[in-house]
Amino acid sequence: MAIPVEMPKMSDTMEEGVLVAWLADEGAPVAAGDVIAQVETDKATMDLEVYDDGVLLKRVAGEGDSIPIGGLIAVLGKAGEDVSSVLARYGSGAPAAAKPAVEPAAEPAAVPAASGDGAAAPVAAPVGSAPNGRTKASPLARRMAQEHGVNLASVSGSGPDGRIVRRDIESLIGTSHPAAPVQEPVQQAVAQQPAPVAGAAYDAIPLSQMRKAISRRLSESKFTSPHFYLQIDVDMDGAVAFRQQLNELALSQDKQKVSYNDLITKACALALREHPYVNASYMENEGEIRLHNEVHVAIAVAIDEGLITPVVRNADNKGLSQIAAETRELAGKARDRKLQPHEFEGSTFSTSNLGMFGIENFTAIINPPNACILAIGGIRDVPVVKDGAIVPGKRMKLSLSCDHRVVDGATGAQFLNTVKQYLEQPMNMML
Amino acid sequence: MAELQLREAIRAAMVEEMERDESIFLMGEEVSEYNGAYKVSEGMLKQFGAKRVIDTPIAENGFAGLGIGAAMNGLRPIIEFMTWNFSMVAMDQLINNAAKVRYMSGGQFKFPIVFRGPNGAAGQLAATHNTSFESIFSTIPGLKVISISNPDDAKGLLKSAIRDDDPVLFMESEVMYGMKGEVSDAKDYLIPIGKARIAREGKDVTIIAHNKSYWVAMKAAEMLVQEGFDPEVIDPRTIRPLDMETILASVKKTNRCVIVDESNPFASIASEIGFQIQREAFDYLDAPVLRVNAKDVPAPYAKNLIEYYMPSAEDTYKACRQVMYAN
Repeated sequence: MAIPVEMPKMSDTMEEGVLVAWLADEGAPVAAGDVIAQVETDKATMDLEVYDDGVLLKRVAGEGDSIPIGGLIAVLGKAGEDVSSVLARYGSGAPAAAKPAVEPAAEPAAVPAASGDGAAAPVAAPVGSAPNGRTKASPLARRMAQEHGVNLASVSGSGPDGRIVRRDIESLIGTSHPAAPVQEPVQQAVAQQPAPVAGAAYDAIPLSQMRKAISRRLSESKFTSPHFYLQIDVDMDGAVAFRQQLNELALSQDKQKVSYNDLITKACALALREHPYVNASYMENEGEIRLHNEVHVAIAVAIDEGLITPVVRNADNKGLSQIAAETRELAGKARDRKLQPHEFEGSTFSTSNLGMFGIENFTAIINPPNACILAIGGIRDVPVVKDGAIVPGKRMKLSLSCDHRVVDGATGAQFLNTVKQYLEQPMNMML
Repeated sequence: MAELQLREAIRAAMVEEMERDESIFLMGEEVSEYNGAYKVSEGMLKQFGAKRVIDTPIAENGFAGLGIGAAMNGLRPIIEFMTWNFSMVAMDQLINNAAKVRYMSGGQFKFPIVFRGPNGAAGQLAATHNTSFESIFSTIPGLKVISISNPDDAKGLLKSAIRDDDPVLFMESEVMYGMKGEVSDAKDYLIPIGKARIAREGKDVTIIAHNKSYWVAMKAAEMLVQEGFDPEVIDPRTIRPLDMETILASVKKTNRCVIVDESNPFASIASEIGFQIQREAFDYLDAPVLRVNAKDVPAPYAKNLIEYYMPSAEDTYKACRQVMYAN
């Protein structure tokens, strides 16, 4: 029996993967655990392993192809074995395998009650119920969704039998512009780089899986969770001195230096322990608010393709140097796109720091299903009034974006105040 | 501009062309002494004489063939069928000779001939007198097919048809002969064959309809406008060649299309247009293209049934609402 190799679901948000490179040749023997290809998901480039011994009979997907979860990538088996039955099961065996693996032989009642009696009868007969979970959408709606990075699976259709139509996408992307741009849609494989055209008015960059995921999730967050923002100014004099002492110690013990960000991660983690409603998630579908029993702080890391949020797990129970070491390692992996799903999923709170770019103050969009995100500005030297005299001081602005469905103003303010206190009296974090 | 009946506009086109070119003549049943079964050729015998306005026996196969022979020999005949329903007798002449001889002779013969007459249903005339034939002839390469909806188009397009060097089938309608409309009296008023007319600009749905169905479409459009919708109505005017460019531009704008067509539904004009739209504008469609045809049966005689048989404004209106998801 020939064995199909399907596109696995490599992360929670993954819907399709791009086959970046083949690492095994057709006809080559492979053993369970061997890596045969690399796959780009919305978060990382990952190794595709096989679970069986055999011969790689056929590479079905080509490099650059985008394959949905469950789509056919390759066929394994004994040398010389016939692969046609497997290909047939997955459709033509074309790399796209864009259809779900199981496709009904014929769509029921796919044709509107056509012909002369067309309009008199309910013409727009159902395009077909969706026993296989197929999302029904008009061709136009599909194209618009693709152009605007809308995930059709998350849209509820207002057409017959739930068909997603133009107005459904328009209401999501907040426009009623004519849906028909003059130019034809340009479809490009995700992995391809645009070839610069001399004299072109612009260079088109195809949307990467990551860019699509960022756009989809942040739009969902901004549009569905009612954000409000709290700002606080933190006196960083104590933290600066504390960090200096700490790093002298770290240097002498050959340990990882601690950054301001690490201090803030720790301060947040401790504050989250004290404010369970901030370490929470609003679960609309389940009809509940989840107060998480563990504190997992995600840290936004900018990489060339976009950004990703690796997670420091149980940050409240970890020492500063451990947080520092873990954060360094995660950030490095993030930049190399080597993060594994367990390293970027499951956060209960997020932080985003733009201080190193000279940003004094900004607000961030909540990273769902978190209830809050903390935006961290740079530390500034400012004149402060102390005992009636103006003296130099160090200040840092923090902005907390809160999902008002979970976190009320006072709750958010109390949490922010706790973070401030930890940073202004960092020794407290050691207790 | 003058206000003319459709029959007067057709006559004006023939008279102007016959005055201009002596090789043109009119031939058919009752066109001469009786002034035409529908008085389309009234007065033409008197003006042009019996050599150019010729009565024929009831023998469509014969006089259609005669016309084809005349065209092959350098004349420019206009052959009137009392109704296109009777042209069935002359199918061999139309399909095997008119459409193909130019091709089969390697271009040695030209076919400057027009076959014209009323097409489609005209009330209680029963099954053999009430069929809409443009879809059948449009499947034949070598024939041009024109199907007009108003007096002005009738004049401008018939003049172009008479001047065309290929066989042109020109489809009118009994029930529209008395319809009045402004008609250009410009000298050499020629409407190009193969160019659709956008009768009403709109953005919500494209309705395509020719001949009598055009008026059905306009009535449906009015009903939609009263509900706040903005339909676009296109009269293709010539079925072959068909102006898909105009149709596609409209569908790409509105994303939805309903075709009204008096043909029986199977392999109809609506089928062909619908197919081409899905092929060329698939990614612009927000709903399946719908068609409103005559019912898929021979035309009935009974008054209530023939009314039910024909594509109606009400059906068109409903189909438009369906493709706009307005239900």
